[in-house]
Parts: sequence; C-alpha cells; structure tokens
Amino acid sequence: MIKHLARAMAKTRVLFKNRRLEEDLAKELATHLLYLEDEFLRQGLSPQEAHRQARIACGGVEQVKQAHREERSLRWLSQSLQDIRHAFRSLLRSPGFSIAAILTLALGIGANTAVFSVVNAVLLKPLSYPKPDRLVQFWLKSTEGSVPGASIPDLRFWLQHAEAVDDISAYDLGQGVLSLTSGMPEELRGVHVTANYFRLFGAPLVLGRTFSADEDRAGSDKVVVLSYGLWKRRFGGDRQIVGKAISIGKKPYTVVGVTGESFRSDPDADLWVPFQFNLNSDNQLHSFGVVGRLKPGFSLSQANVQLRLAAQAAQRQGLLPDPDYTFELEPLRDAIVKDARASLLLIQAAVSLVLLIACANVANLLLARATVRQREFAIRAAIGAGRGRLLRQFATESVLLSTCGGGIGLVIGSLGVHALLSISPGNIPRIGDGGAAVALDWHVLMFTFGISLLVGIIFGIVPALRVCVPSLNQSLNEGSQRLGSDSGQSKMRSLIVLSEVSLSVVLLIGAALLIRTFAALRSVNPGFDRHNVFLMEMSLHGSQFATTANVERLVEDTRQRLAGVAGVEVAAATYSPPFGDRMGLPFAAIGTASGNLGNNGDAEWMSVSPGYFAVLKIPVIRGRDFSDRDGKGGSGVVVINETMAKRYWAGKDPIGQSIQIGRGIGPEFEDRPRQIIGIVADVREHDLSEPPQPTMMIPLAQEPDGTTRLGLQFGPIFWLIRTRLEAHQVAGQVSEQLREVSGGLPAGQVRTMDGVVSDSIERQNFNMLLLGVFAVTALALTAVGIYGVMAYSVAQRTHEIGVRMALGANRRRIRNLVVGTGMVTAGLGVTVGLAAAAFLVRFLAGFLFGVRAWDPTAFIAVPVLLAMVALFALWIPARRAARLEPIEALRVE
Amino acid sequence: MSSKDKKTHQVLQGTLDLIVLRNLATIGPQHAYQIATRLQQISDGLLNLNQGTLYPALVRLEQYGWIKGSWSETENGREAKFYAITVAGQKALRSETEHWRRTSQLIERLLVEGTRA
Repeated sequence: MIKHLARAMAKTRVLFKNRRLEEDLAKELATHLLYLEDEFLRQGLSPQEAHRQARIACGGVEQVKQAHREERSLRWLSQSLQDIRHAFRSLLRSPGFSIAAILTLALGIGANTAVFSVVNAVLLKPLSYPKPDRLVQFWLKSTEGSVPGASIPDLRFWLQHAEAVDDISAYDLGQGVLSLTSGMPEELRGVHVTANYFRLFGAPLVLGRTFSADEDRAGSDKVVVLSYGLWKRRFGGDRQIVGKAISIGKKPYTVVGVTGESFRSDPDADLWVPFQFNLNSDNQLHSFGVVGRLKPGFSLSQANVQLRLAAQAAQRQGLLPDPDYTFELEPLRDAIVKDARASLLLIQAAVSLVLLIACANVANLLLARATVRQREFAIRAAIGAGRGRLLRQFATESVLLSTCGGGIGLVIGSLGVHALLSISPGNIPRIGDGGAAVALDWHVLMFTFGISLLVGIIFGIVPALRVCVPSLNQSLNEGSQRLGSDSGQSKMRSLIVLSEVSLSVVLLIGAALLIRTFAALRSVNPGFDRHNVFLMEMSLHGSQFATTANVERLVEDTRQRLAGVAGVEVAAATYSPPFGDRMGLPFAAIGTASGNLGNNGDAEWMSVSPGYFAVLKIPVIRGRDFSDRDGKGGSGVVVINETMAKRYWAGKDPIGQSIQIGRGIGPEFEDRPRQIIGIVADVREHDLSEPPQPTMMIPLAQEPDGTTRLGLQFGPIFWLIRTRLEAHQVAGQVSEQLREVSGGLPAGQVRTMDGVVSDSIERQNFNMLLLGVFAVTALALTAVGIYGVMAYSVAQRTHEIGVRMALGANRRRIRNLVVGTGMVTAGLGVTVGLAAAAFLVRFLAGFLFGVRAWDPTAFIAVPVLLAMVALFALWIPARRAARLEPIEALRVE
Repeated sequence: MSSKDKKTHQVLQGTLDLIVLRNLATIGPQHAYQIATRLQQISDGLLNLNQGTLYPALVRLEQYGWIKGSWSETENGREAKFYAITVAGQKALRSETEHWRRTSQLIERLLVEGTRA
C-alpha cells in the first residue's frame, strides 16, 4: 500500500535528518507547553505549579520525545545501531582479545580472498567475448581421451557437417613465435587464424578490417592484423598503417587492420596472420584448435548429438580413419581452463579448512570471554533484556569482529594474491599477463563479505547459546561456585579443540602426500643430463629457410660457428626439444624376414641435428649415433628409443631393420624407407610422471620438405647448447652468432634445461607449496588453540588443584593430569582426523605420483607430529599448574 | 482527577488518526496544542487523552503523507508548527471514514442480534 511505502521512505529519510527533527520537536513541544502553562495560569495556579501541571498534562517531555522517536524511525535499525555501538565499546574494553581475534580472522579471510580471486578469474568469470557461453571448442575424441589438436580433414568435416555451429574458426593451439624484421628485429607472439576468427570473438577494430574469405585461401597474399599494443608500441599508433607492408620473417606482409585495445585472444597475440589452408589437403597433422559459436536455438547437448550422428555417418562412409574416434564439443571456457580447475579447487578447499580452524580459535576465545561476562549478561537479563535481544547483542559482537577481520582480510587478500601469483606456475590459464585479469571485482568483494558474515555467525552462535541458556540464578551465584569448571562449558571447548585437531590432520596429510609426490618427481631421472645445457628458439616461419636443404645449411653453419665460441662444448638443433611439442606418426616395418613385423604402429617422431644425443648426454645403447654420412644424400636412417625397440621388436634385434614412416597420411609426409641404425636410452620428456613413449628420430638433414615446412609453420627451431661455463656467460655470444649466421633473425629468450625440467613440475610444486603453507598455518593455529584451552582450564581449576595438592597429590601428578586431559582431546581429534583423511584422500589421487593415497609414512608421521605439537602446547599450562603453591591456590576465590 | 468516576476511553491508534484528520479537514491548519484542546472539547472529556499522545500520531500521519506541518507564527507571536491536511489526506479521510462506518454498523448489528437471541 502506498501509505506504507511512503512511510518506509520517510523513515529512511529520518536517518539523515534526525538531528533537525529532534530540534524541531523540542521547539514544537516548548510552544505547546507554553500554551498549557498559559491555560493553567488562567485557572489561577502559581507559575511553578502551572509549569509542573503543563508537563503532567503532556505526559512528560522526555517520554513524549521518546515516543516520537520510536514512531518516526526504523526501530530495528536504531536498535542495531545501539547494538553496534555497544559491541564497539565492549570490544574496545578488551583490546588484547579483539586484536587477537580480528587478526586471526583477517589472516583466514585474507588467504581465502586471495585464492578466491584467482578461482574467480579462472573458473567463474565468463570469457570476455560477446555471448561467451555459446562459444564451443571442437575435439576429436577417442577412447583414450581427446587428441590435443585438429587436422585439416577434421576442420573440413566440421565446416560441412556441424550444422548447429556457426563461425567455425581455427587458431594455433600454442603461442607461436613470429619474427618482426622491420626495424629492430624482435620475436613476437603470432597466432595463425582463419578469417571468421575475429567475427566469432567479436573483436573490435580501431583501423581497417580483418581477413577476407579470399585472404583465407591457400596461396593468397600475405596479410596481417596487428594488436592494439603492438601498433602503439612498434608503429607509434600510425593511423595510416593500413595498406602498408611490414616485414615478418624477412617477407613483406600487408597490414589490413588493427584490433581494439580491449581485445585479447587466447592464446594472447601481438599479431595474427591467416592460415591460408588448402582445405582439400589430407594432411593428418593435428596442430591447431577449432572453435565455433552455437547457433541460436541449439543447446550444447543438441549440437553434440548432431555432431556425433554426423561422425557416425562419416564412419560408415569410411571418411573417418578409425572407428574409435568421434567428435565432441566442449564449452570454450572449460577447454581453456582444462586441469587448472582441479588444482584451484584443491587449494580453495584447503584454504577454507584453514579458515574453519581460525574460526574455531576465535570461538574458543569468545567462549572464554563469554564465561567471564556471564554475570554481565545475567544482570542485563535481570533488568529486562529478552533472550533474543541478548543473542542479538552477541551476534552483533561476533559479526563486528568478523567484518573487521574481513576488512583487513580484504587488504591482506589483495596483497596476498600478488604473492600467490608470483609463485604460481606460469601456465594458469585466463589470468592474463602477470595476473592482470585477477582483480578485486564485486564477486570477490561479495565473497569476502559473505564469508565474513558467515564466519561471524558460525563462531558467534556457539558461545552465545552457552551464555544465554543457563538460568539467571546460577549465573549470578557463579562467583561463589568456582570449584571445578562448568562441565558443559569445558566439553564444548574440548569439542572445538578436537575439531581443530582433526581438520589439521586432514590438511597435514594432504600436504604430506603432495610433498612426497613432489620429492618423487624431483628424484625421477629424466634420462638426459639437464645440467649445463641451455636452449634458444628462433622462428624460421615465412623466412627464406623454407626447405630442408636451407635449414640444414643454417644448422651446419651455426654448429660450426658455435663450436668456436669459448665455453660451448657442443650444439645441436631440433624442432621438438624435451618438454616441447611433438608429432606422432605411424610406421610400417618393411622388407623383413620375420613375419609379424608387418603391422603398423604409432610412435612419436622428431628430427634432430648431429650432436643432439651428445648435448643431452643420451646414451646410445646399441648401434650408432647419426654422423656426417647421414646427410641429405645418404641412405635413410632412423634411431629409435628403447621403449620402441621393446614394444615392437620384443626379443629381436631391430638394428638393421627398415621402416616406412608416415605412409598414407598425406603428401607432406612422403618419406623414404629408413634403416634403424641405433637404439638410444629412454628419456622422460613430456611429463616426469609419465613413462617414456616409443620414439623415432631421424636426421634433420633427411627430413621431407613437407614436414620441414609444417614444423617451421607451427613452431620455431630450437638451438640446444651444452656449455662448460654458466649459461649467461655464453648466451650473449651465442645469440650474436645466431643472428649473424641467420642473416638477422632474432633469437628468443635463453632457457636452461634445468629450468625447463623444473617448469614441467611447476604446478605440483605450487600445489605442494600452498598446501604446505596452509597445513603449517593450521598446525600453528591448532597449537595456539590447544594451549589456550588448557591454560584457561588450569586458571579455572586453580582452586581444585589447590585442594588436590592439599590432599597430597604431588606436582608430577598434577602435571600429568593436565597433560593427560589435553592429550586425550588431541588423541580423539587425531583419530577423527585420520578417519576423515582416509576418506578424503581419494580426491587427491589425481595429484599424486610415486606415493599411494594411503601412504603409511604420511598416516604415521602426521599423528606423531601433531602429538608432539600438542605436547609442546600443553607443557606450558601443565608446568604452571604443577608450580602452583597449594596455599595460594586455595586463596583464589 | 475529576474524571475518576467518568468512563474514560483508551483511544485506538487508528481512531486517533481519524479524529485528527477529521478535525484538520473541518477547521483547517492547527498546531498541536490547538488540536489537543479541540479533541478534549469535542469528546467532552470522555477521551482520557494525555496531550503528548498526539505527537506519535502526528508524525505517523506526516510520514503517510496525509498531513503536512509547516512553521509559522501564532496570533500571539509564538512560533508553532501548523499541520494541514493534504490531498492524499483528504482522500484517506474519506476512505477511512467509510471503512469506519461500515465496521461500526456491522458491530452495531451484531450487538443488536446478540441481544435478540
């Protein structure tokens, strides 16, 4: 109804003009009283009596004012304000308690805020493109999982048959490197895309246009779209740049457009060039990603059903090579986030346990304080405060504490998130350059505010119930009943400590398992010598080095030059160094006497220059390494690894056998037959936790021109250099030589092989580090909790201890009594914690390597550690109890 | 007090609002003392109204937007807050009066029925 609405608004306005209303009311009443006095004077009363009667007739000035106040203002609000004022005063009266509680909460909330900001940016925020939830990624899936990239035949199929998806576009999966050779040479992040890529992502433009359909076709002109950042930085924001040519890889490219400042592609790029695919190609290389937009009216599952049906039809017509394979669409955001989700959720879960423990500690503090204040509350109840009002007062205090903690926590969190990102692995998706996308937006603010409130209610309600329930009489009399502590009270405190201990056990076991995992990973021998090796990359795409012969000449020249650099022991080149991308190709054994070797198999494939095995010190187990004889003109040779020898030539000698690689998958892969000349030791070069894959290696000089072209298109060439000196002492010289010998191509940053290997386990390191920090924090909080409870209990039981001593208990017995009580609680907590951990470790299984989820070491070490910490925390109050003088103890009220 | 033997009535909140509105509608703008005196007169002392009770009613009506207070001088030069009924107040008065009539008629009828039975 209108009148209620009008009134609510009026009442709200009162908040802002209360003082003026008070003044008005006083004036109004004064006039009113004057009239009444006149009236009484006229009736013949004395001035004093008239004054008095006027006030009586009115019903008392202050009473009227109060009635007016209550009528005009929002009552619950003014009461709340009163509660808050009261809570403030009461917290200020015990600053030690308040600071301890607020800081504990601030740390807990801060850590949660920091982690949540990352979770928010990575998992929750929608992609920053128009209608982001309609964007989907295409996958080729088999029973073994999804193939990381798509091939041209896949793309062709999708373009023709994915009827529910629009704007199907391809883009480089990795962040490619292109060399800008206009002016100062520079390696840039370049990504190949198809023409509708920009429309799909709604890319804004500041200048020109994006690629036309014609420019997307094979053999068209070389064109480029610049990013806003690059345009500003390298071209001074030249508004006439469209139509001009810039040099990329020493070839001219015409600039057709510049994207808007806000546009970020994923992978991020400085410039984009068209793929210019030949869509009729049968190239089986799976090297790029494909995305699209669901057409209006189609749901993801409908589109998926449609695509799978199309795939089945294609199977029947023999268009798909393998009956195992099918196609699938996945929301683009999930495709980008990938396995970062599990890591982040693990960390968020761990950090919320820490907050729970912090809550438990604050609840403990509040409980202790509530006991002390029981009389205060009893008195307030006696003079008329209802139970609800008392509970509200209590809740106000705890929520005030937690929001103060939340406020400081927000600051800690925003600082903490930078610390978090600085130690985080570089491969967390969606966080932008240096975590630029991780920001305190309103989601994070709401989260922090929300958990602050929640936390305040959780730890506030327990002690409040304890305090408000006991009867008045009992509380008022309590002063004279100090014998023994209130049993209900101490039970609750023990319960709080017990849950703290069990939460800590869960966290510690999680951390222990991750530490063991990391240690196991660190101790994995990758099979090559990673020390004193560094690598540099150089993009040859689009340069004059388009053929195998040219690349080979460059590599030979470079190797000779580098051999002359002081400190360089040996150098080699490859397109796929350890922990880089690699292709898988089929092979067929040919011309062999033994019968069953005719089957085809799949193996990883790479080409290496001479010296590769020497640089990485990969031992040749049988046969020989590549030599000068294995050049372009020599007969085809291949070296395989042990796993390949064992898998495909079990019990036989592969040396001298011949294989045909990449037959029937496209003209680019047409290769000569190759004789196996050597077997090298296995190397773990994708993931230290994965066993080595069968691998075949051919001399770089003997590569088909087709694969050289593909290799250069999709990645740079890597120079691997083994040094006698530190990498940084040699790198400058090496990079100088590289630029000279390549005729001015820039070489990218220097990475040591040590760094490459440890980067590969960065995520495990990060998980371990964070969980470790959280577990140690939890342990410290728990120790404080145990100490607090026992110290308090000793103080409460001083009188009882005095009696015991007077009756003949010796000091050791007293000490043991205290330690024993505490340890029983801790022991129960450990038991509960172990049971919980035994249940929860299953969620950790995916993170573990080299250690079982039920690792006995962790499940034994953690309880022992906790027992030691608990003992330590109990020792101080126990000693204090044991040192009490009986007479003094009895004197305590 | 002399009203000891007289039957006095506690005034219902809504009734007081209605009386105040009615009063302002017929007599025009008045300040609190005038309203209070007037109420005592018309109720012939039947209403045991302590004058302060008026204030919550006034602020309530003001917040409903049914009356509006403004400061001006009285005939003997005092500053007082004069309350006047607003357009919304007049409308409210009509509907409230109507509502009150119906209610009292209903109660009247029920009481009569009650005595007959």
